[in-house]
Amino acid sequence: MSESILLTDTDVAAVRDAVALLDGWRLEPRALPELGAALGEQGVRALLVTTSDPSLLRSSIELAHARGVPTVVGCADETARRRAVELKAEEWFQLPGTPKEISDRIWSAVARGAGLGSAMAERVDRVEYEQMLYDSLTGLPTLPVAIERSRQLFKERGELVVLYFSFVRYSKIEEIYGWEKLDSVLETTASAVRDFLDDDDLGASRVMVSFTNDDDFIFFHVPASGVAAATDGEITEMTTRLQRHVGAKIEEAHGEDIAALFDIYVGRAHLYYNPKIRLERLIYRGIREAANASRSLEQRERARRVADLRTSLRDRMVYVDYHPIVVASTREIFGYEALARGQMRTLRSPEVMFDVAAEADLIWELSRLCRARALEGMDTRLAPGQLLFLNVDPHDFTDPAFNEKEVTDPSRVVIEITERTAIKDYPKFRERLKAFRNLGYRFAVDDAGSGYAGLGSIANLEPDFIKLDISLINAIDTNFIKQNLVQTMVRFADDHNAMVIAEGVERAEEFKTVQELGVHLVQGFFLHRPQSATAPAPSPVRVASA
Amino acid sequence: MHTGDAGLPPILVVDDNHDNAEIIRQYLEIRGYPITVAHNGDEALAVYETVRPAVVLLDVMMPGRDGWEVCRIMKQHPTLGKNVRIIMVTALDAWDDKREALQLGADDYVEKPFDLPTLAKTVQRNLAQMRAAS
Repeated sequence: MSESILLTDTDVAAVRDAVALLDGWRLEPRALPELGAALGEQGVRALLVTTSDPSLLRSSIELAHARGVPTVVGCADETARRRAVELKAEEWFQLPGTPKEISDRIWSAVARGAGLGSAMAERVDRVEYEQMLYDSLTGLPTLPVAIERSRQLFKERGELVVLYFSFVRYSKIEEIYGWEKLDSVLETTASAVRDFLDDDDLGASRVMVSFTNDDDFIFFHVPASGVAAATDGEITEMTTRLQRHVGAKIEEAHGEDIAALFDIYVGRAHLYYNPKIRLERLIYRGIREAANASRSLEQRERARRVADLRTSLRDRMVYVDYHPIVVASTREIFGYEALARGQMRTLRSPEVMFDVAAEADLIWELSRLCRARALEGMDTRLAPGQLLFLNVDPHDFTDPAFNEKEVTDPSRVVIEITERTAIKDYPKFRERLKAFRNLGYRFAVDDAGSGYAGLGSIANLEPDFIKLDISLINAIDTNFIKQNLVQTMVRFADDHNAMVIAEGVERAEEFKTVQELGVHLVQGFFLHRPQSATAPAPSPVRVASA
Repeated sequence: MHTGDAGLPPILVVDDNHDNAEIIRQYLEIRGYPITVAHNGDEALAVYETVRPAVVLLDVMMPGRDGWEVCRIMKQHPTLGKNVRIIMVTALDAWDDKREALQLGADDYVEKPFDLPTLAKTVQRNLAQMRAAS
């Protein structure tokens, strides 16, 4: 049997003894400059280096790896260890080291050198690439996979219909409720789309689904052989049904507020196979065409909504839901947050309403109407001593019509300011707040902790209430980092004489957790739904006519 | 306690410091957990599908692919991602560090330097959470 050689730059006793422990191994000490050449010699199975010279260490490890020889580094200190790991030495040990340890390291280096190497790199690549082929949330194939799959069918049947589903305002869901919520809404969407397609016959043709990893979906519809491609009429009809189906599923799983927030617009492109044009290019062009079509549909719809908003402002078509805020320990109602909603179906969601208002430069006017409506209900809806939480955008403070005299009993009003909107002129803003404060108004920071800014920006506003961002409350019972963050916020509030409000509490477990964490006030569907005297019937998702 | 319970779920310990990894391994192995050790991010990802860990103890400061990147990739795995609890081993003292950790999908963290009972307790509470969820 041929001898295994450990090539090394050291001749210390511990290494000699270590090699003696290894059956059939021989030590071959060499001066560092000669190591490179010696690596090519017969029988060299491992390299052990102890040099503290970084460049010599690097070159010897690189040479060894080039020859497929695993390396063990004897490290004098933490820096040397870091370096060894960075250079991807198979093993390391702390100098001087015991013979037993060193021989173990040599063994493990040899094992790792054999077992890992390129095989490991392959496995890592696979884990990395796999997630690029299929969307982890929806399980839908990504675009390259879908194109690959439809290639053959497209060629055979000669035509392909691309449907581009643009889900407008999904990003808003993420902004308000956090990425976890959007993830779960996308999951619901994808599964709704899937079971819709399972049930739908669409002329027995093949439909492929892809997911662009953003908030849009793309369908490839290839007509089955012997069947004519779906007509425009059929596709319009199918998309209408799909929209209803998805909308209903989302409302069922995530509530009306979220369902009312988004719209689906479908654009379509009809492609015909052409051997002169590369198939991928044809498909990508088709996708672009369909996407543009969905966008122009969206534009038209927007113009219509601006008109709706103008009508709403003129006829004061805004109503207010009052969402109870309760004391965490007793569940007693502490106050109500006023949530303005549009009476028109297309403007139900306040986010949509304000989006449209921003486009049409009607923010102040809409804010005035919403405020007036909220204050109107104060005497009829609120019991004595209960507070009204009023959402006010920092922009509103620049509105000359918004002033501290607007309310007869300011001590019962809490003004909620969102942390999300950037406040430009801080000193001036604080000056305005002070005028309000002097009359007895109180302040709440809304969506606290939504940004990365932390507690400093909150302290600046000296709030009486800190309303935690919904994304921190969502599934807080299962995430210990969220619990830690909320705990920090409660401690901060206690130090600053403020109260913490957890909003978006939807499950018993969440309620229990925030109670245990010492949160003072709680708001959410688990305790109460928003109360409204004059709410119109829940609106189904809007259907865009293609 | 759990000692000797053959049904305990596998744990993947990722730490570039061999001594640390070894200490954690021994401590948890005595408590009956099947332990696999990886010494860098690539190694951890390479064994991820073989080990199918219930819990990953993930050191953040590693050369090459750091713990954050490994966390993100593991959480996005099509099948394993939803069934793994990731505990970051690091001092997350700033608010934005923790927000970042949340965004990458981390479930919990252990502050460095940690003591082993704390570490074991953290593992236990995450496993309990996982059982409650399933």
